[in-house]
Amino acid sequence: MTAVSKDRLRGTLDVLILKTLTWGPRHGYAVARWLEATTGDSLTIEEGSLYPALYRMEQRGWIESEWGTSELGRQAKFYQLTAAGRRQLRLQTAEWRAFVDVVGRVLQPDS
Amino acid sequence: MPFPFWSPALHRRLFRRNVTDAVATELDFHLAMLAHDLERGGTDPADARRLAAARFNNLANIAAECRTIGHETERNMRRTLYLQEFLDDVRFAVRQLLKAPAFAIIAVFTLALGIGATTVIFSAVDAVLLRRFAFANPDRAVFVNESFKGQDGNVSAGNYLDWAAMSHSFSALTAEEFRSFNLTTPEAPERVLGGRVTANFFPALGVPPLHGRVFTAADDEPGNDGVVVLGEGLWRSHFGGDLGVLGRPVQLDGEVRTVIGIMPAGFDPTISQEELWVPVAFDAARRAEHDEHYLNVVGVLKPGVTLQQAQRDMDRVSRIERQRFPKDAYGSHVVGVADFITAPYRTPLLLLQGAVLLVLLIACGNVANLQLARSSSRAREMAIRAAIGAGRGRIVRQLLTENLLLAAFAGVIALVLAQLGIGALRVNAPAGIPRLEEAHIGWTVAVFAIGAAALSALLSGLMPALQLSRRDLQGTLRESGRQSQGTIRDRVRTALIVAEVALALPVLIGAGLLLRSATHLQHVDPGFDLNNVVMARAILPAGSPDQHILAIQRVVDDLSHRPGIAAAAMTSQAPMGPGGTSNGLLAEGKPFSQENLVQSRLRLVTTGYLATMKLRLKQGRWFSDQDAAGAPLVMIISEAVARAMFPGENPIGKRVGCCAPNSLKTVIGVVGDVRSNGPAQDIIPEFYLPLGQAPADAWNWIGNIMTVTVRGTTPDPAAATQAIRAAVRTVMPAAPVFRITTMRDALSATIAVDHFNTVLLVSLGVIGMLLAAIGIYGVVGYFVTLRTHEIGVRMALGATGTQALRLLAWQGLVPIVIGLAIGSGLAVSSATLLQASLYGVSAHDPLTYGAVISVLLLAGFLATVLPARRAARVEPMQALQ
Repeated sequence: MTAVSKDRLRGTLDVLILKTLTWGPRHGYAVARWLEATTGDSLTIEEGSLYPALYRMEQRGWIESEWGTSELGRQAKFYQLTAAGRRQLRLQTAEWRAFVDVVGRVLQPDS
Repeated sequence: MPFPFWSPALHRRLFRRNVTDAVATELDFHLAMLAHDLERGGTDPADARRLAAARFNNLANIAAECRTIGHETERNMRRTLYLQEFLDDVRFAVRQLLKAPAFAIIAVFTLALGIGATTVIFSAVDAVLLRRFAFANPDRAVFVNESFKGQDGNVSAGNYLDWAAMSHSFSALTAEEFRSFNLTTPEAPERVLGGRVTANFFPALGVPPLHGRVFTAADDEPGNDGVVVLGEGLWRSHFGGDLGVLGRPVQLDGEVRTVIGIMPAGFDPTISQEELWVPVAFDAARRAEHDEHYLNVVGVLKPGVTLQQAQRDMDRVSRIERQRFPKDAYGSHVVGVADFITAPYRTPLLLLQGAVLLVLLIACGNVANLQLARSSSRAREMAIRAAIGAGRGRIVRQLLTENLLLAAFAGVIALVLAQLGIGALRVNAPAGIPRLEEAHIGWTVAVFAIGAAALSALLSGLMPALQLSRRDLQGTLRESGRQSQGTIRDRVRTALIVAEVALALPVLIGAGLLLRSATHLQHVDPGFDLNNVVMARAILPAGSPDQHILAIQRVVDDLSHRPGIAAAAMTSQAPMGPGGTSNGLLAEGKPFSQENLVQSRLRLVTTGYLATMKLRLKQGRWFSDQDAAGAPLVMIISEAVARAMFPGENPIGKRVGCCAPNSLKTVIGVVGDVRSNGPAQDIIPEFYLPLGQAPADAWNWIGNIMTVTVRGTTPDPAAATQAIRAAVRTVMPAAPVFRITTMRDALSATIAVDHFNTVLLVSLGVIGMLLAAIGIYGVVGYFVTLRTHEIGVRMALGATGTQALRLLAWQGLVPIVIGLAIGSGLAVSSATLLQASLYGVSAHDPLTYGAVISVLLLAGFLATVLPARRAARVEPMQALQ
């Protein structure tokens, strides 16, 4: 697998985070680790860079947060999807698929 | 991690956490977790934390970005929350008001009436006083008047031209002479008011013509001035709005003039309602004329020049003029155009505005009182709200929302009422209040109404809300809503009575004073018998003075033979009528000086004038037919002239110079003073000349317009009116007859504005008093309910019904008396503002004060006793159960 460029990554980060949260509320660190684990080395997400994205999505009402206690017994902020967030995820996923589809068809050699 | 529920309350608690803190905690947690994982992967614990931190390239940037977004989110949330709460409050308020529809309706209409009335008066204030005049630089436009012994007057052509040449303060000094013209139309000759203006008149005011052009300097030359500019109104009404009229000739006073331009609608810089303009085109004689004061001089101050500077400049110019023309030049007075035009209406309008605001305050007091009455039944509701955690501020906000809603409804209804009210005002207001017809609900007025509504919401709601939210929580819940401690609110209610009475009294006093003044005016002696007198203006056809005199004599002869006419005469100017000129009189032998000159109004009369008007001849004799041309020159003076010229002497036989060079006239009689400008105006000196001896110039002075006066045999003016028309038509078929009116109507017109003010203020006073009485009634009624139990105890212990009544009446009357005392203080200090509108009565007239205080006391007493009587009927057993 080749590495995805940073620019493409930025637009994609939101949808990936939303996807991560579909399995239930989790804190920022868990989101980061899950992203790392699932994407392997293809996506290099700088440590902590997902937080501004989380804050922005919270502002837009896609996700909401609550303080809770983590597995280490420390205060942590847990994020979960809102109805708007689920809608957003569906929308972006569909868009992404359509985009990949079109680009894929164009780039397909001699089909 | 479960998310139990998502509520605004939870939201609030969440976001109360400091954003900076939250970001730090969150990122710190991330670091700790990272370190923890590294440790588990075998990293040395001492290095783990350092390595974790090293993985962050940009910790500070990330934190800053998060903080910015977080703060923004918090602000949005707070706004949303506030709006959410507000909407909740509104929804709740609607439910509350629907539950108490009687209260809601009474409160809304009380406020709507108050706000509506306030808005109507404000629309008049806005139209008459506040709106800028519709020409360029209205703030710099000034009248420059001749001033003589403190009186402003018009300017002579010679003085005007010298002023223009010598003054330095004006970017333009223009002159206009008002004149009515005979406009010849296919139907009948018609009188149209016009202005003869200097060429710089239109450019100085900066209003371009709607069509065509205005005058050039070339038009403003004698012989070259056969042009006319029409007003938009006249152009539409008489020329069908046809542009083809430009360049066409029209006949004005028999002269042909070419229409060159049309001024836009609303061009009326001095609110004089002239409908056309022609060049003034001074000829050489007029330029040298310093004695005939006809011009209205309007100047535009140079930018940066103040009124005071302009006045000083003009004082200097006037001094030079007086040295050159000691006889004819006076002082000068520079005054803002808007100030000069609106000055007479400023104080009365502002007083009305003040009075109506007081009434609005009283209305707010009543609504506050209604709310207090409801609050006893809502105490439990509030206690429960407080018990589940609503802070006092939150409860006050919710209660104020109810008031805001009431006021919003009231405001909408008030705007409808105001629209009707403004219509009624414009229809019923006397003519002549400048720009009143422009009153309407525009932006300024709408904003004012919204402000008044918001203020009413606050005033009527804040106090009850504070009271209600302050209640002792546990006490109320334990008492299960039963009233026991009304003391604090009693004090509030008592204060309400004091305030309402104190506010109502000044309005009522003002109304009382104006009523007294109006009664006084009705009894002012006009100096003649105005019953059955009808008058009309008639324009003499062009002709020589002899022809004029002959025509006038024939009209009077014709009239006196007609049925229904007791007496008939013609005069250059009748009391309460338009026209008229004044001349300086100088007693024979007195040296010429401004002090010795007695400026008096001239009245050219036919011999029947004395009998027609029933003037009082005080001394000497009246004119006879022998006082004609060629006979010795005679005059009759009014008592005011006699007092001024011949104090302590017998004026009969004295000779007086006036009206023409070296012309001495012998005083043959003295007549009683006449209130020529109406009962509200001071008496002015007047003198009479027989028609046959009219000075040659007099026909110009009066513009060839005479007034026909007849005394009918019945009060019905129909016969007299017809007779005047018929007689004038018989003698001078082409002469227009206009401004036909009875003397009584003409007199009423002179005091119409005062009368109107009186009606308005009296209505406001009565409304204020009724509102205050309703307020008192409500409060005392509440006291009765509150003390039923106590009274029952008292009566069980042997008190009589009368004693119970006295107890409660006392509770109501004390605040009324205190209110009257405070109100009297307010009235005494504010009534002086009214003094200028009062005639024959002092602003501190004890009789009025006594009467008004008695009336208000009586109203208060009734409002107290009616509900208090219930207390006397209390059945002890019932009350105690």
